[in-house]
Amino acid sequence: MPEPLSREARHSLLERMMLMRRFEEMVIHMAAKHKYIGRNHLYIGHEGTGAAVMALLKPGDLAHTTHRNHGHIVGRGADPGKALAEIMGREGGLCGGRGGTWHMTDTSVGFQSTSAMVGGSIGLATGGGFACKQLGKGNVSVALFGDGVLDEGISYEAFNFASQYSLPILFMCENNEKPGRRETSMLAADRLLDIPKALKIHTMTVDGGDVENVHAGVSEALARIRKDQVPVFVESQIEAWPGSHQHKPEFTTGETDITMAWDAGKISGQYAEWIRQEPILRYIRKLLAENAISQDEVTALDAKVREKMAKARDYAEASPFPKAEGAVLGAFA
Amino acid sequence: MTEKTFAQAMFDALSLSMEQDATISVFGASSFVLGRGLPPADEKAFIAKYEKRLFDPPVSENVLASVGVGSATAGLRPFINFGTSSFAFEAHNQIVNEAGNARYMSGGQLKVPLVYHMFHGIRGIGGAQHSQSPQSMYANCPGLEVVLPSTPADAKGLMRTAIKSDNPTLFITHTKLLATKGEVPDGDYAIPFAKGEVKRAGKDVTIVAMSLMVLEALKAAELLKAEGIDAEVVDPRTVVPFDAKCVIESVKKTGRLVILEEASLVCSVASEISAIVAEQAFEALKAPIVRVGRPHVPMPYSPSLEAFCAPDAPKLVEAVKKLLKK
Repeated sequence: MPEPLSREARHSLLERMMLMRRFEEMVIHMAAKHKYIGRNHLYIGHEGTGAAVMALLKPGDLAHTTHRNHGHIVGRGADPGKALAEIMGREGGLCGGRGGTWHMTDTSVGFQSTSAMVGGSIGLATGGGFACKQLGKGNVSVALFGDGVLDEGISYEAFNFASQYSLPILFMCENNEKPGRRETSMLAADRLLDIPKALKIHTMTVDGGDVENVHAGVSEALARIRKDQVPVFVESQIEAWPGSHQHKPEFTTGETDITMAWDAGKISGQYAEWIRQEPILRYIRKLLAENAISQDEVTALDAKVREKMAKARDYAEASPFPKAEGAVLGAFA
Repeated sequence: MTEKTFAQAMFDALSLSMEQDATISVFGASSFVLGRGLPPADEKAFIAKYEKRLFDPPVSENVLASVGVGSATAGLRPFINFGTSSFAFEAHNQIVNEAGNARYMSGGQLKVPLVYHMFHGIRGIGGAQHSQSPQSMYANCPGLEVVLPSTPADAKGLMRTAIKSDNPTLFITHTKLLATKGEVPDGDYAIPFAKGEVKRAGKDVTIVAMSLMVLEALKAAELLKAEGIDAEVVDPRTVVPFDAKCVIESVKKTGRLVILEEASLVCSVASEISAIVAEQAFEALKAPIVRVGRPHVPMPYSPSLEAFCAPDAPKLVEAVKKLLKK
């Protein structure tokens, strides 16, 4: 069993989650204001998974994410102003406006090429794992991906490759399949885990709605990966955010009011059930119940995050669009 | 200078590179140049020396190409041999969407120092799926360098540059060139990309060709000499980046351009060269540009059908004679 988390570590996890949430809410507001922004795949509802994984990575570890990358990147410590500017296609963005929402990269926090192809991250992360092994510095490579990736042939190839060559890779699957709605994956296998398991990869399941459960599971997975130099597949079961749509997200659940954590009377409407279960409010309730945080501390944390977001928004809004002629430069080193 | 086979020259370049740079790992070494007439002792020593950097991976071109990109951006210099170029089509998404785009999409944060090697061309009863020449497909995708050597000396020098390059480089070798021989400079040297070479000087007509087609063009030039036609043969050596200056200078001298291309002519490298010359040196042309290539059909299997489709010296001679009305 992993060590129990310190009060500071728990607050830090909560802050990471709130940072991810407030960032995405800001993206929605900016998309309403600037109509050209829109086709974003938001991370709302996934924070329990991303915050735990990002908290556990060490300097030099490599991360490979997908079209749903905002939460991962800002959760790992990328400048939220630069991340927002990138989504807005501005010169001051992480990639100078060349990548946008789908391809955010920040090598300063270990994020390599971000692919929007379903299955892209899993192949690239296998390459990252191969590099970690060859370079021998004890780092690991993480593939972050959704359950739909298991539909793609490359996932089979990647699991086989990683297993054959014993590569230090965390295959972190964020399964946000919506029960009773359009399925995000269509597998003849009973469970996602059956696929990597068939190729002799150790597998685990965690509850994506419970950040500490994810933290404990991923912590164990990473310890195994680092010690034995093997891949591990972790499936995080996530209750999908009702606003998530294939084209444009809809702000169905509204901006998260953190006081709902202690004032259940404020929770109402069509999405009340989701709000009650979503990872941030769940975690605040847990910490409050265990006397690990006070309402004032939660409010202060939120104020701190909101201030960060206000600065990020000012930075992104002030950043100009890239000089048009620059479009023809930079395809080659 | 030492006379060597094309395969030996590529092997020398790879060995030299691996000796100098410990970040180079090779996938698919055994289907690259090993077992293709190299001295067995050299092969054995190579395999023993680089045991931890030589991999014969699962038949998974898709993830293999992606492993190339992921490990290249993480600090390695992977060398990936797909074998026959048709097999690389399994990995097309990774080559085009990941390798070619990574640097640009990241706003220059990432480098992708990676070589994809593959064998192209009409090899003799290869049928539709073992006779592809995919160079124009890759050239059409931004971010990829495309190299097609024609001689052992060029193969060694261009391979050194490809491995040192910080960009994803498609190194496309004609299967039939492997056993060809030529003088190769001893020691270490590199041939820069976008530096074409006049393989035979002439004054009546410029023939542009790459890879195996250079050899056919040189044969044709000898046949044309007997007809009183003095042909210049230009080998651009790399498609991306392309040495337009070398081709245009030759056309300015001869006033006539014939391009020999082993692929189908539809949207081919020959098409691109025609466009470049028409746009940039139209006034130098005394006659329309002529392209010689394979018909736009899958390559047939039967030797008689294949011979009809395969571009070669006699077909080139006919085209040049027609152009010069001889």
